[in-house]
Amino acid sequence: MGLVAQQWYLCAIATLTVFGYIVIAGTRSSRSTLPLQKQCQLVCGSCLRNFNKLLVRILKQGPIPQHVAFIMDGNRRFARKSQMASVSSGHFAGFQNLSNVLEWCKDLGIGNVSIFAFAINNFNRSPEEVSSLMELAEEKLKELADRSVAEDNRELRIRVVGNRDLLPERVVKSAEYAERITKDYSVMTLNVCFPYSATDEISSAIRKVVEDVEAGKLSTSDIDERTLESRLQIPGPDLDILVRTSGEIRFSNYMLWQSAKMAYIQFVDVYWPEFSFFHMFKILISWQMASKKIKEKKIQMDSKPTQL
Amino acid sequence: MQAVLWLATAVLVAALTHIGGRRDKGEENPAKQSISQQLCDGACTVVLRAVHLALAVHRSFQGWVQSSLEQAGLDVQELLEGDDTEETTERRRHLAGFLASLPQRPEHLAVILPEGRESSIDDVEVLCAWGLLAKVPRLTIYTRDSGMQNSFDGSASRLRKSKMAARAFGSTPRISLDSTSRIEHLGVGTALADADADQQFDIRVSLWSRRNGYPALCTLAQELAAQMQCGPLESKDIGERLVSNRLAEPSGHCHPDLILLVDDLACLPDFPPWQLQSAEMVQIDANGRSLGDAFFKALVRYAKVERRWGK
Repeated sequence: MGLVAQQWYLCAIATLTVFGYIVIAGTRSSRSTLPLQKQCQLVCGSCLRNFNKLLVRILKQGPIPQHVAFIMDGNRRFARKSQMASVSSGHFAGFQNLSNVLEWCKDLGIGNVSIFAFAINNFNRSPEEVSSLMELAEEKLKELADRSVAEDNRELRIRVVGNRDLLPERVVKSAEYAERITKDYSVMTLNVCFPYSATDEISSAIRKVVEDVEAGKLSTSDIDERTLESRLQIPGPDLDILVRTSGEIRFSNYMLWQSAKMAYIQFVDVYWPEFSFFHMFKILISWQMASKKIKEKKIQMDSKPTQL
Repeated sequence: MQAVLWLATAVLVAALTHIGGRRDKGEENPAKQSISQQLCDGACTVVLRAVHLALAVHRSFQGWVQSSLEQAGLDVQELLEGDDTEETTERRRHLAGFLASLPQRPEHLAVILPEGRESSIDDVEVLCAWGLLAKVPRLTIYTRDSGMQNSFDGSASRLRKSKMAARAFGSTPRISLDSTSRIEHLGVGTALADADADQQFDIRVSLWSRRNGYPALCTLAQELAAQMQCGPLESKDIGERLVSNRLAEPSGHCHPDLILLVDDLACLPDFPPWQLQSAEMVQIDANGRSLGDAFFKALVRYAKVERRWGK
């Protein structure tokens, strides 16, 4: 190749690279209005969706967890970082991402997803934030349920788990509506923990067991771990993976009974609205590599007698 | 030629993406899948195995780099196990000063060790010494089996005359060691040996096993059921506060602030669930690494945590 031709070639590559960068950088902005950027957004979005589907197919060649729980942390910090108008915008962005995550879980064949939407001690937050969260819950529960009904395959069953006595009437009605119209769907179950604490769940299970003994349905000697477990708000199946976003490394009183039984725990250093399929992919690959060892340990543990 | 190769690769990836992205109605029954779908599944399996292998190699490499760096750097375990030279004492003082300067330290640290460790008494001694050095008031050591609890006497005897603990503390420490049904006060005078729980100790060490968790909750449920049958208790009285009070231990129960999981697997082996509620968790793979090093790293990690309590 002559020197001049080489130089033209390099110039062309550099121009294309810069142009491509500008277009791609522009497509990442939600405010871009140029027709070319919009077209590129569509193309990039479509390519990404197809690439995600390929990754799903790759993952499905290995074991898939049956129950994954998410602590959706970091919405407010995301809102501050993105200079959004209010923290409610962060919660809204979090809900948008939840829809994506449910889509991925459905594609992967994960049968049960539990999400920590609101903790009982979150009532300590400002009244404005609590009120906006209640409004968001009321609206989005109904929206999720209606979407599930509207889809042809009617796959998502919604269960709202937690202490409903603490909720406003309108949110309880919305929760009951969502549960009622999706109760017959069985492909995927979504446990929305709202408002929830694991210690409340465990103490409620103990209370139910004691009430059953008093009612004569059970005798004191029948009380064992299985009896208590069957009365939990999220009784099963066994939790395979617990994911907490935002980089915090604590349980925050979420699904303690289930998590302590060899659930694979992952703390991810990204805010919930930014949790992407690639993060999910990494977690699942990591779990797949550990799943054989986890299964062996569980068999070993089950073979040893329970000590009372 | 290069351009042709790039083009061929791009077409292959595009084809794979397209085929892999298509919805497959015969997915549940592999026999009904078309040849192309089966070939795609086969290729995806190869890719998945390659990704697993690459991740395993990456982790091994990371582990090797980490252990090489640590060998070249400060071996914190040496500071307590080694002889009392001037240099070691000075370094130990620096380390204690550094740990004291951390913005926050746990009041109660729980260490989860894998089952079946042969060196359980050594582990108790090392962890107790580190707890004393870092001025952690309460230390819990958990193993799923009761091995640690069964060697209670051995642990008590070792801690009573532990030079490591004395080095860490600077003098003979007052240690309270307890297990499910036993409690011993070490390093205190005979007259105070049977003192009540208000006795000031430099560290309280508890040995836990699975018995402290799920079985304890079942036992509690049985006791409450029996109480209700006898009369004084009503079901509406059973709530978080009652359960918490009933699970409190005689030696003074508080939930761990920090849990150090010493295992290569990020899973809790039946750790008492009620006690996890406000704990931060740090997982460190102790393969080729000392317990002291893991303890140190956990404290440094905990120091950066921001606790918001639901707000």
